Amino acid sequence: MVLTLVLAPLLLVVLAGVLQLGALRVAAARVRAAADLATLVAVNDQDEAELARSGTLRLSPDAVDVAREYFARELDLSSALLDGTADEIAGAADVAAYASAPAYDMRTGARYDRPTVRIAADVPVRTPVFGALVLRAVTAIHVLSVSSPR
Amino acid sequence: MPLLFSVLEFGSALERWLAQDAATVQAARYAGELGGDTPELRRFLDDELRAARIDPDRVSVDVAPSRVGWREPIRVSLSSSYPVSIPFLFSTTVPLRSSAISRGEVNR
Repeated sequence: MVLTLVLAPLLLVVLAGVLQLGALRVAAARVRAAADLATLVAVNDQDEAELARSGTLRLSPDAVDVAREYFARELDLSSALLDGTADEIAGAADVAAYASAPAYDMRTGARYDRPTVRIAADVPVRTPVFGALVLRAVTAIHVLSVSSPR
Repeated sequence: MPLLFSVLEFGSALERWLAQDAATVQAARYAGELGGDTPELRRFLDDELRAARIDPDRVSVDVAPSRVGWREPIRVSLSSSYPVSIPFLFSTTVPLRSSAISRGEVNR
């Protein structure tokens, strides 16, 4: 009986921590999917004039804006999980478009052999249980997404 | 014992939520490629959900708008309920909602 009373609070804390970790995993998957979809949408929008003229796949001139816009749209669908507005987070993201290949990414050092759109962002996610356990009430999820056409 | 079951039950619910989210993202991408809500999209979604061991009949699907043109946004939303039962404590259903947005790729 005494052992149960002593262990119950500890087990409740463990349960709360496990649930928070699970929710964080869902949030991380959503953020990754948001960045992936945003770069895919931006890459799919090819420069039609260049494609018709030379048959070359080349990114649309507004690829960066499109990627940022769709990153914000996707994040907005999970706004309850975020510590900040989707527009602010997407606005602070490092979005780069490499219209022609080969190109080198100054941030990651990667070489791209096709036209590429890349998003790198730190997305703050609310973790209230961690906050209550004297940990961080906000956890930043770093996301890096790169897309190229085939 | 209830605490142990809570960890298992909610863990299972979160896994189901992740699987539903993944199917939603794939469906949104495909909806953009098809230009809207089509029988092919529904079949694809059913297959994706079954592959994740989710019964498609228990998931409600909304595609808005149902038809899009080139560069127009399209949203796919899925919602379902997951029954959670903790012995000696309670039984309830947890609503699981997933949404993703893509862009129409069909130049009509």
